[in-house]
Amino acid sequence: MIEVNKDEQKYAFLWDKESQQKNRYGDNIELTQEDNALRNISLNINGDLGIGENPNRYKQHGFYLNADNCIGCHACEAACSEKNDNPAHIAFRSVGYVEGGTYPDYQRINISMACNHCDDPVCLTGCPTRAYTKFAEYGAVLQDPDICFGCGYCTWVCPYNAPQLDPVKGEVTKCNMCVDRLEVGLKPSCVAACLGNALDFGVIENVPENREQSQAEIPGFPTTEITHPNIRFQQTKGSHHEMTRTDSMPVKYHREDTQKPFKPVVDEKSGRKKYWNFKALLTSHESAHVIFTLFTQATVGAFLILILAPLIAPETFLLFQDVSVYPPILIIIFVISTVGLYKLNMHLGKPHRFYRGFNNLRLSPVSREIAGVSMFYTGLLGAMMASWFEHEIAQVLFYCFAALGCLSGVIGLYYMYKLYRIPARPFWDHKQTGTAFLGTTLSFGGLILLIACLSLIPWPVLATQQLIPVLFGIIGLGLMIEGLGHILHAHDMKAATNEGAASYYQQVTQYGKSYILRNILLALNLALVVTLTFTEITSILDPAFILIIILVIGMLVMGLFGRSLFFVLVIPTTMPGAFFWKNQGFVDHARETGLAEMQQVGVVYERHHAFKVDELWQTIKENSLKDMFKHVVWILGGK
Amino acid sequence: MLFGRNKKNPIKIADKGIVKWNYSTCGYCSTGCAIEIGTNKDGKPVGARGVADADVNRGKLCVKGIFEHEVFESTGRGTTPLMRNNIQDEYQEAQWDDALGTMASEIKRIQDTYGRDAFAIVSTGQILTEGFYTLGKLARGVIGTNNYDGNTTLCMASAVSGYKRSFGSDGPPGCYEDFEHTNCLIAWGSNLPEQHPIIYWRFKEAQEKRHFPLIVIDPRVTMLAQNADMHLAITPGTDVVLMNALMHVILDEGLEDQDYIKANTNGFEALSAEVRNYDPTTAAGICGIDEDTIRHVARLYANAGVAMNIWTMGINQSTHGSDGVVGINNLSLLTGNVGKKGGTSLSITGQCNAMGTREWSSCSGLPGYRLLENAQDREDIGKYWGVDPEFFPKTRGLTQTDIFPAIETGKIKGLWLVGTNPMTSMPNTARIRKTLEKLELCVVQDSYLDVETTEYAHIYLPTAIWAEKEGVFTNTERRVNIIRKVKEPYAQSKTDLHIFNGLAKQFEQGRKMTFSDNFDEVFDEMRELSKGRLVDISGMTHDLIEQHRGIQWPYTEEQANKGEAPVQGGKRLYTEDATFRFADGKAKLIPLPFIDNNERPDPEYPFWLNSGRLVEHFHSRTRTGKIGNNNKYSPTPFMEINPDAAMEQGIQHQSYVRLVSRRGDAVVMAMLTHRVPRNMVFIPFHFFDCVNRLTLGLLDPYSRQPAFKQSAVRIESVNQAEAAQLNKESRTF
Repeated sequence: MIEVNKDEQKYAFLWDKESQQKNRYGDNIELTQEDNALRNISLNINGDLGIGENPNRYKQHGFYLNADNCIGCHACEAACSEKNDNPAHIAFRSVGYVEGGTYPDYQRINISMACNHCDDPVCLTGCPTRAYTKFAEYGAVLQDPDICFGCGYCTWVCPYNAPQLDPVKGEVTKCNMCVDRLEVGLKPSCVAACLGNALDFGVIENVPENREQSQAEIPGFPTTEITHPNIRFQQTKGSHHEMTRTDSMPVKYHREDTQKPFKPVVDEKSGRKKYWNFKALLTSHESAHVIFTLFTQATVGAFLILILAPLIAPETFLLFQDVSVYPPILIIIFVISTVGLYKLNMHLGKPHRFYRGFNNLRLSPVSREIAGVSMFYTGLLGAMMASWFEHEIAQVLFYCFAALGCLSGVIGLYYMYKLYRIPARPFWDHKQTGTAFLGTTLSFGGLILLIACLSLIPWPVLATQQLIPVLFGIIGLGLMIEGLGHILHAHDMKAATNEGAASYYQQVTQYGKSYILRNILLALNLALVVTLTFTEITSILDPAFILIIILVIGMLVMGLFGRSLFFVLVIPTTMPGAFFWKNQGFVDHARETGLAEMQQVGVVYERHHAFKVDELWQTIKENSLKDMFKHVVWILGGK
Repeated sequence: MLFGRNKKNPIKIADKGIVKWNYSTCGYCSTGCAIEIGTNKDGKPVGARGVADADVNRGKLCVKGIFEHEVFESTGRGTTPLMRNNIQDEYQEAQWDDALGTMASEIKRIQDTYGRDAFAIVSTGQILTEGFYTLGKLARGVIGTNNYDGNTTLCMASAVSGYKRSFGSDGPPGCYEDFEHTNCLIAWGSNLPEQHPIIYWRFKEAQEKRHFPLIVIDPRVTMLAQNADMHLAITPGTDVVLMNALMHVILDEGLEDQDYIKANTNGFEALSAEVRNYDPTTAAGICGIDEDTIRHVARLYANAGVAMNIWTMGINQSTHGSDGVVGINNLSLLTGNVGKKGGTSLSITGQCNAMGTREWSSCSGLPGYRLLENAQDREDIGKYWGVDPEFFPKTRGLTQTDIFPAIETGKIKGLWLVGTNPMTSMPNTARIRKTLEKLELCVVQDSYLDVETTEYAHIYLPTAIWAEKEGVFTNTERRVNIIRKVKEPYAQSKTDLHIFNGLAKQFEQGRKMTFSDNFDEVFDEMRELSKGRLVDISGMTHDLIEQHRGIQWPYTEEQANKGEAPVQGGKRLYTEDATFRFADGKAKLIPLPFIDNNERPDPEYPFWLNSGRLVEHFHSRTRTGKIGNNNKYSPTPFMEINPDAAMEQGIQHQSYVRLVSRRGDAVVMAMLTHRVPRNMVFIPFHFFDCVNRLTLGLLDPYSRQPAFKQSAVRIESVNQAEAAQLNKESRTF
């Protein structure tokens, strides 16, 4: 237990005398019953086996912010970083602000925010490595950086930007509620440090002394429906109808009258001009995801067509049953799939800890995606190897692996879709994510097969088959599904009353020209496949053959631009930042101009992390097969 | 949704391995927070916390104090003395004896050639009082230059001057406890949440217990202004007009405290004659505050029973800075609000030991608020120090802001800068650059080698910082508090006290006098000299100070001998009738005619240029600019500009612009906000090669403090890529 300073002032101590039964969402505040096995266990903080005597140890706690009082003095942020020994670029708590009105009737509302230790922690359910735990003690949602492998998915799903991905260490860390202080009856460090008497802490739904309100909303604060956050606000001072953000997000908050809550609306910060923005589009940190998702969807698509199509229409797909054709095609698919998986794995903060991606199969769509895609890869690899042998056993194996690949490929793609349906990222949280992924699976799956066939089979042979027009048809179907999704998505985002509308604004301005190019290419490619389906090309010297080449190039450019736009345009429902701190615009600027080279600027560069073979080998050596088996049992829900 | 902890690793929470907490007083602003620096088993400072039972801060610290343990190891510290003949040459490392020997012989050469006053000393508000006292002894008693001043001329000179003019002595009469008792608080050009966050917290605690009206006078909508019950968005530089108008209403409506005035003041008639010229209607036209508001505030203030005024740089850094302080004192005296619980006129000071230098450094006189102009004071100090009283000048010499022009025109040939960075802090940087180039001898004594002034130095002396030394500071409420040594001085740096003593020994006169390296003995000298003075600290000892977490003066030997413990807080000056420091014990009411001499916006330079602090930075960023967890909140300079003005000028949020004044230009990033009026831009003053390239800094006639906050600029567009490059190159920290 930490030592309590003998002269500690009253403001530093927890104050809850009584508490309510249920919180506003209907959940129990007392998190476990008297006899629960989770009670009376040490939190084991830094190896300390003591058990705190806090009388409210098993009740859900939360922060309280009196926004009337916050002066934006950074004392809470500093106290937090001092206690947790955080470098400048990491902060568990940050203060941002919204502002409104006209001089001198000007108003700034500062909002200090850390982790809200939610009732439904989406970080916990999303994390593939099971690095998160919601503790029975205080309802604290704690994360173990040593388990984290740095995928950053929790930073995507959290609506409050609580988990912090450290590009230097390649792992996530976050607010730990100062549970060490709670154990001895002290409030968290940030609260004890507050100089505006704005921040407080206690059993949730309890209103601190001298305060009257207990709201769950404030301008700039995302909807509570996603996670049931444990934070309460007071704001008795009226605010203007429109509150703007000083950071680069093209979002502001508007309400129709004082009775209604603030809603995010577009703030056209950079005008209506259209740009290409190639650099930001094509060199973002998410380009690993661009390649992984495209390659995986394309290879699963190609594999499914290659395996299943001959079963459905043996005549049409006669060539796919030819032993001189399908084994080389499988090699091509395998190579592409390998590149995709490699890119994904190497973007992790700890690439050598890839195997932890399965840990949260019970809850995380990411784990399930990883499992599905891994099994697909296994099926693909097995089928590819078996395809080179003519022995009967090889043939049986081929079908077993093919079945595995098909089934798990579909499961992998489904969870790939599910994992992007993030409520805190409205631009993704739309059926279009599904249509785009399905469309890509078909169109690029078809494209891989088309290119493979063109390179493996002489044109005169191909020209006599129905295969090529059918592949054009599959590509066309994929393009139509994707195109339809885009139209609906654009329509919905334009009219959205959330950050999706801001994404749409970025789409048609900052990336406006790239977006138009993508749309034109989509239409052009569709027109090309329709034309090609009904065009008879007898020889590669036929001028119409050039249309196929244009289609291939057109598809590749469209795919790259389309998927890059998907990643770069997403605007999460994060809290407002300040002018420098927590302002993505300044982060980009500091990286571009080299200001980020100075550690004290608080901005670091994104970086790649080595695959540490030695650390992996160490782990393998230290764990017996029995340990590994136990781990698998644990993944599947065992103790 | 709960999850069991099967196979979870232990919870890891950072443990810095602190084995000892070392008592100290924060080295940033003048609030005077008691701080404990945590050291690990290797003696390395790794943590900081507020001292929970200290009356000033009651366990709290601001963003700067919380990371103050990081200053010890920050980049840019000087390791060894450096010397060179020419400022174009490279520095050569030197031994301390050689450096001090050369320095002394150069001082003698300059004084022999050009006269005693041709060597000037500009010191600081940052070093320990024992250091200040010793520097004063050296400057006044050994070197004997009358051109000796502190950089407090840039921050508190107007307050000093105003207190002296009104009350007969420097010394803020109030204390933080006044917030607990006041019925009305007026904050003049003071932004507590940004500048003195802990004082703000003390105010907030008081106001939450018992609401009293807060009136903020500031052209900018600061957080304090926003949280005020009334915000008076005044036209820059016109505070004196508003004060006169408030007094006009008070006298016109008979709201003054006649009994108090009769018992405690002189000059009532002259003052009332002058304020008659400032009826609210006339005043409104000048200061921009409507006449109803003026009347309302005057009545609220005068009828409050006890009311207090606080002010900071909004008043001091003005051509009417001293008058502004006198005006606040006039208001306080007219309503009987001096020396009462909750009724005071309290300057919120700037640097950690601005008060220490005012009291003990002999910058503007002799130690213990003694005056050069007073023969008895010269006699007393001469006798105590062993200096011929005739050696002392009979009037005060040049202030910092007059020393530089004297260098410019060749009257002064040598300059010793102690812990101050005029390249960033003085107005009109271009002029300072040219001035420093003219020196035959420039000595920079600073903890940081990367302080910009070293570019012009011949001798550089590396000093220990803050808690690498031991001694005392005095805070805004006259509380003397102690700094204990947390670790040994960095590399070969020495404490200021050791440097002053080392230099003194280079002079024959210095060898005859006592220059003790023992800080307890130095403190004893100060105690002795404080006996019977306003600033009586004779009852204090270093240990007693620590035990009480700081003691407010006066605390006399007599009190200590009687066993009367120092009070925890709430000590005030002038609590009895007619105890002011003029001969008859009465304060002066001084009429304040207003002359508008500021550089105002015009068609060519259409914007007011205002400057001020940010909470995360201190002064010229030599400390906070290197600590990431301070600096990251504002790592590069910016300006606040009203969005309406920006739109007209075609300025985008977060783009670079170039500002041009009649002195020079500066590149900053634009922040569009309605915090400032349409005809004003605001730039933080912390950044090198920035706002002070633009400022005029017209001098106050009494305090010689520059008007940093009133200049005119225009805005030009700039190539964004080039500006970004320039901005990056200007920031080595």
